Amino acid sequence: MHKILQRLSNAALAVWVTGAYLFLYVPLLVLVVFSFNKITFPYHWVGFSWHWYQELFVTSEIWEAAQNSLIVGASSVVLSVTFGLLFVVWSSRNNKHYLMGAFYPNLVVPEIVIAVGLLSFYIFFNVPLGLPSLIVGHTLLGLGYAIPIIYTRYNALDQRIIEASLDLGATDRQTFFKIVLPLLRSALVAAALLIFILSLDDFLIAFFCAGSSAQTLSLYIFAMIRSGVSPVVNALATLMLVVSSLLVMVFCSVKVKEDIW
Amino acid sequence: MARRAKTVHSFFWGIPAFLWQTLFFYVPLCFLLATSFVKRVPSTKISHFSLEHYAALLDPIYMVILARSLTLAAITVCSCLLIAYPVAYFLALRVQRFKTILFALLILPFWTNFLLLVYAWYFLLENNGLINTMLLKFGFISAPIHMMNTYGAVCCGMLYCYLPFMLLPLYSTFERFDERLLEASRDLGATGWQTFTRVMLPLTLPGIKTGALLVFIPAFGEFVIPSLLGGDKSMYIGSVITHYFLTVRNVSLGSAFTCFSALFLIFFLFILFMAHALLNREQKNA
Repeated sequence: MHKILQRLSNAALAVWVTGAYLFLYVPLLVLVVFSFNKITFPYHWVGFSWHWYQELFVTSEIWEAAQNSLIVGASSVVLSVTFGLLFVVWSSRNNKHYLMGAFYPNLVVPEIVIAVGLLSFYIFFNVPLGLPSLIVGHTLLGLGYAIPIIYTRYNALDQRIIEASLDLGATDRQTFFKIVLPLLRSALVAAALLIFILSLDDFLIAFFCAGSSAQTLSLYIFAMIRSGVSPVVNALATLMLVVSSLLVMVFCSVKVKEDIW
Repeated sequence: MARRAKTVHSFFWGIPAFLWQTLFFYVPLCFLLATSFVKRVPSTKISHFSLEHYAALLDPIYMVILARSLTLAAITVCSCLLIAYPVAYFLALRVQRFKTILFALLILPFWTNFLLLVYAWYFLLENNGLINTMLLKFGFISAPIHMMNTYGAVCCGMLYCYLPFMLLPLYSTFERFDERLLEASRDLGATGWQTFTRVMLPLTLPGIKTGALLVFIPAFGEFVIPSLLGGDKSMYIGSVITHYFLTVRNVSLGSAFTCFSALFLIFFLFILFMAHALLNREQKNA
């Protein structure tokens, strides 16, 4: 009796997990398949065609938006990882760990509140909205993620290695660049990837803080979905899926999971 | 050595991050709070303190909107937990081979723009989408079911987009979970259900809490998914904020509503926390 129950629950578990994977992947599969469909009206399959990809490549607005997104993503990655690293090293060295708490609200406060707060700040000081105002917001989000990730790794380091380096005559600068940085590499890569993806994925801050002149990929996709279903969006989605699967492969292969979760 | 370490890891290292955080996070939040109390008279261009915007929020329509956002967030948390818990358990404890690949497959969809994930559901839910086509083909229904622009579609989209926030903390909790405890519990005569409620659930509760919080907070402010899949039928907190800030450009009223909703969220989480603490104490006493 016990054995039968055990088997039954195992089978139920297997079914449940398979169902979950199907739930995740069927929509994506349909999305990809219809990017190769011949006709515009996208709900039934007619025949294979590259047409929508050709259209995607000649639509200059998409590439402008993608370029903007890349600029914003790269700048916020560089800013938040650099600032985060400096802050972590400084606060750990001076035993000011409690200051880390100042950055936790970035993760806890709903994004829309951060976005609206920044917007009212910009309005008050008449700051023109555009890519820089957007980078500011994304760097804030980035700091919220970068600091805990780098902090966890830095404090797991054997501090005696750093002391040994200093004792053996290396300067602080040398110790930082030759000992600390290489040891933190996996955490830095993980943080950078995560922040880049977050920046690409973000809609709310872009929606409020980018103004009407700067178009990011998220805003463009939103406008396109609003105006109706077009297979060009499917083609774009397929391309982005390919890119993100490459990034996931990097993420999993640098073995950085344990630094984050 | 300690002295030397101090000279280079000097105060200047910590300044950029701190300055950025203060200037662009704390100061704007204070601004938000301040503008919510300011009334500007257009004719004289003089601003003065006023509680008028908060008084305007006493309209019951705002309560309905808050309750609606709260319900949607709660439904999202529950459905995410229901899907994610068994999957995280299975992946962390039952799988030996291909663990990395299966895990990568699980997080892969969420490294794409979430708007594209929402868009994908159009193809399934439309009247001539995949689900209706399949059901019609196999004869389960005779006419297409209307699924787009319903509450069900909104819940489905929310579940789909917020799943990883629940999955990842649960997965890491199960990774640290000692499976021998389950064996011990069974050897000592507990039934499967008892093992689940008395051993597994209490030990994974921290992961559940983290996941629930990570889903609940952003889901509470969400308005894009409801507007895309629910067809702008009903307003959510996020849509009201957007309306005041970007459409009618009434920054003060928008700020008041934002602060009010944030306070509501904090209050709600505080009540949950207190209830939990009380429950814990009673359990200890009993």
